[in-house]
Amino acid sequence: MNKFSIRRLGLLLRRDFSAGYKSVFIAMAAVGGFVILVSVVSAFGRELGPVHKQMYFPLLFIGGYIVTSLTFKELHLNGQSVLYLTLPGSSLEKYLSKLVVTSAGYAFGSLFFYTAVSSAAEGINRLIFGYGHPFFNPFERFTLIAIAVYLVTQAVFLVGSVYFRKLAFIKTNLYLWLFGIVVVILVAVTGWFIFRDYAVGSRIDLEPYFQRLGDSGQLQAILGPMAEKFWQVGKGLFWGVMAPVCWVISYLRLRETEV
Amino acid sequence: MAEIATETGIEIKNLSFGYTKERLFSDLDLTLRGGNIYGLLGKNGAGKTSLLKLICGLRFPDAGACSVLGWEPQARPATLLEDIYFLPEEFHTPPISAELYRQIYAPFYPRFSEEGFREYLQEFDLPPKKRLSELSYGQKKKFLLAFGLSTRCRLVLLDEPTNGLDIPSKSQFRKLLARAGEEDRIILISTHQVRDMENLIDPIIILDEGKIIFQQPMYEVTRCLHVEVQMEQPSGDGVLYSEKALGGYVVVRKNESGEETQLDLETLFNTVITNRDRIGELFVPEETSTGGAA
Repeated sequence: MNKFSIRRLGLLLRRDFSAGYKSVFIAMAAVGGFVILVSVVSAFGRELGPVHKQMYFPLLFIGGYIVTSLTFKELHLNGQSVLYLTLPGSSLEKYLSKLVVTSAGYAFGSLFFYTAVSSAAEGINRLIFGYGHPFFNPFERFTLIAIAVYLVTQAVFLVGSVYFRKLAFIKTNLYLWLFGIVVVILVAVTGWFIFRDYAVGSRIDLEPYFQRLGDSGQLQAILGPMAEKFWQVGKGLFWGVMAPVCWVISYLRLRETEV
Repeated sequence: MAEIATETGIEIKNLSFGYTKERLFSDLDLTLRGGNIYGLLGKNGAGKTSLLKLICGLRFPDAGACSVLGWEPQARPATLLEDIYFLPEEFHTPPISAELYRQIYAPFYPRFSEEGFREYLQEFDLPPKKRLSELSYGQKKKFLLAFGLSTRCRLVLLDEPTNGLDIPSKSQFRKLLARAGEEDRIILISTHQVRDMENLIDPIIILDEGKIIFQQPMYEVTRCLHVEVQMEQPSGDGVLYSEKALGGYVVVRKNESGEETQLDLETLFNTVITNRDRIGELFVPEETSTGGAA
């Protein structure tokens, strides 16, 4: 059935680029100007901390989430949705073209862009003042971990982009907050049921429980492996499950979209 | 994904569809074959646009089967989309020139004719370098028509294509479309502007109350129905439809004399809508009468 063709994927990417390159260049100019300005002003004030690290992470996360939230905008607009959905390309190709651009494309594009702009800013600082901030290092471990975290978490905003007709970025954030609140409530209720014998009024006082376990030397034996297990499961869910689940959900939603 | 490789037309069987619990279509059957420019007529809200959307996979049926050029349109396979061009009534043109539009979108259609595209642009008098967003509604529509016909898709779906076109453009449109008819190509036009489509669309399909109530080629219409203008108000069982017109009454009867008369589409539509049952008895279903081809 020819579900996937590199040629068509390339055509879709080219189409998306030609539709959005002007906005991208405008955004790059604005961000570049801002980075240079902040860098020069803070160097002038002799504030020589790791300013580029502090500026790159919002660009990566907030910028990336906004770009991802906007990626399926045309799917929700009259006229544009017809053109997009009847464009010869399978749902998989259409989905991958958006995923590639907003995940790896954005992460590495922004990294390359920021490295260039911050280097330029620091060049200017050194020319004007003879000193500057530390150079931004794109290969630093912390930066690479941040990129990996972005690649996983942006998948959630991809789901929001396919699902929400309007204000996808805001709505996705709201749903994440709601989800967080639900999780906290669930944990609290579960904790209450497990430790309700230690309730003192509306508060749970676990001191006697820990003392009892500690006294007999069981505390470490029980909590240590349990915490480790939770941590491992949580890490596994985050790195191995979260993004693929979001990708599948958003792909299926794209496939099922009607006009 | 159902693939019926031998099919070259459109086969819809027992299709049900609705936006709410109330069905828009129930048990709808429709067969379309290549080499025809079908006219899809119906009252407002009859579901003409929805039917076009179902055919190109923008809407999914609730029940029944729909096969388009051997594919299930619901899955929107790329191979099928390469063979479908749909021009909706509400369309979008990106803010780029006609030439850039061709460069970006034409490669998606393997049989796209560059030469045909240039000719269509010339015939419609469209500037290739001007941004599409700066063109008038009618010019944008002409551009999309020119592009759609140049794709040489086997299935072209046009929803109210002459809306917004000026008088010369309407006749250009008719000329171009008549020329665009190919042996294996199905052109399906949904329209209210029946006068614009006179002598172009054939066979005629009429959709009413969720069903195809009429699907006949014009030669069958001429063979079965007789139209004349008479001075007196007509009466009697033989009259299928009559309306007051300049100089008397337009009267439609069963053609018993065998004489060929020219029935315009508006009168035909009104005749069919007001006499569903009697028209149904008069006409043999198209599939039987034409041996499967319209």
